[in-house]
Amino acid sequence: QSMSLSITPAQTAAWRKQIFEQLSERSKREMENFKHYEQAIEQSVWVKKGNM
Amino acid sequence: MADDKDVLRDVWFGRIPTSFTLYQDEITEREADPYYLLLPRVSYLTLVTDKVKKHFQKVMKQEDMGEMWLEYEGTSLKWHYPIGLLFDLHASNTALPWNITVHFQNFPEKDLLHCTSNYVIEAHFMSCIKEADVLKHKGQVINEMQKKDHKQLWMGLQNDKFDQFWAINRKLMEYSVEEGGFRYIPFRIYQTTSDRPFIQKLFRPVTAEGQTHTLGDLLKEMFPAAVTSDDGEKKYQVVIHGIEPMLETPLQWLSEHLSYPDNFLHISVIPMPTD
Repeated sequence: QSMSLSITPAQTAAWRKQIFEQLSERSKREMENFKHYEQAIEQSVWVKKGNM
Repeated sequence: MADDKDVLRDVWFGRIPTSFTLYQDEITEREADPYYLLLPRVSYLTLVTDKVKKHFQKVMKQEDMGEMWLEYEGTSLKWHYPIGLLFDLHASNTALPWNITVHFQNFPEKDLLHCTSNYVIEAHFMSCIKEADVLKHKGQVINEMQKKDHKQLWMGLQNDKFDQFWAINRKLMEYSVEEGGFRYIPFRIYQTTSDRPFIQKLFRPVTAEGQTHTLGDLLKEMFPAAVTSDDGEKKYQVVIHGIEPMLETPLQWLSEHLSYPDNFLHISVIPMPTD
């Protein structure tokens, strides 16, 4: 038997809420004013291949 | 309330706005403009800076271009550390964008490993994942995977494909309910004020009595100054992925959700900003 990812009793814990809040603040701080910057990795459907 | 899986996405899609400026003593044929990029926090510098190299190639002669290396305020940036860790460790609390200086001469042999191709990064990344799995599951999960699964982890990171990566990585995050977590937590604690590159020891997610170990418990044992001080004043920030998790956060949960793709929790302990 195995489990992964979610720990139910902790769902409402303060530490967990605080991580969500801080990650959302981080996005604002680090990304909001820089959306015009180019992405380092292009997101395209076709993935470039190396030497053929 | 948001789902725990959202944390995985937030961690994966973290970006650091960065400005790359050519070092003043590099020989150019004409003036080089800075180059601006959003760098994925979970990736590696040499994996995502092809565009930077190409940009500066336009103003330089081939013979003046040695292996590219990067520096921030006098510190050579180790490509084999994840980008987010480098930023948290060296540039937290500074104004964005992150100003990185680009060099093509005088490679700092004593500070940096050479990185001549992406195969070198792939080998380093896979060896970290294997080491982490030895700590978590005695290496059983990674060894039972097929070669194509290993490749999928790497390609997921290289091409910024979250779903592709996590389809495999979730297997590395499983554990039995009876054990209450991984065997040991793969973590590394970094500080800029020490010659030692990082602290890494064996530490379990639960005590012998079955009590949950927290981030605070880990720090108390590995780096007590980070959580306590004589005068009660906070002297350090404990940063993972640009945030400061509460010391009460269970270590097992952190390991599952805030580990880098190499499956390690990279924890920066930095002095509190003075201003």
